[in-house]
Amino acid sequence: MIIKLELYGVSRDFSKENFIIFNLEEKSTIKELRVAIINFIVENFKNNESYKKIVNSSAFCSDKDEIVNDNYKISNNEKVGIIPPIGGG
Amino acid sequence: MLNTRIVDSNKEKIELIRAEKFITSSKCGASIYFVGTVRDSNNNKKVISMTYDSHDTLVIKSFKEIYKSSIKKFNFGNSVVFIEHIKGKIKLGEISILIAVACKHREQAYELSRFFIEEIKKKTPIWKKEHYEDGDSEWLVGIPIQKD
Repeated sequence: MIIKLELYGVSRDFSKENFIIFNLEEKSTIKELRVAIINFIVENFKNNESYKKIVNSSAFCSDKDEIVNDNYKISNNEKVGIIPPIGGG
Repeated sequence: MLNTRIVDSNKEKIELIRAEKFITSSKCGASIYFVGTVRDSNNNKKVISMTYDSHDTLVIKSFKEIYKSSIKKFNFGNSVVFIEHIKGKIKLGEISILIAVACKHREQAYELSRFFIEEIKKKTPIWKKEHYEDGDSEWLVGIPIQKD
């Protein structure tokens, strides 16, 4: 299934676009998406440890603008936002 | 009463006058304005500007949730809160965040103002990228977002 990962903050450095498309197995969860993003970092950014750390410490938000946990089941064509560690104000 | 907004730096600036108009009330005897601005240095680097990124929907949702929590926590009657946060690039000295509160008494206003900025730092999805004099730029390290 197709997932559109919307990028925010430091994760914008992962792509020239403001999103990345992932093709995941049906019934995948945030946990699997996180693994897919790590694999993307390994392949595209020479295993950049700093980026991997960011992914591992990020939260995710669903299409319904709710922060969801790693067990959240993603739907086909869902837009999921990655929420890296925050620091506004 | 609450008013919140994300201000696009390409179109306008954050200005105190809007906050003043909103929070002025004869029911409140104390007002506090917290104004966050871009500082000229960080970690021994000379900062010349800052870019703010945000997840707009979650930011507004977060402001509303923080307001609800503040009512539950403090139960100050008649308090008024105005929050604006910038999105986009701003220069040194320009305002990134404005939190204006008005309450019956000064102790309440100080407490409420402090509560809002501390909660925003922990719960509101906003990110900062510093731009330096040498042309370099860097996203600032943040903290994992806290859920209620």
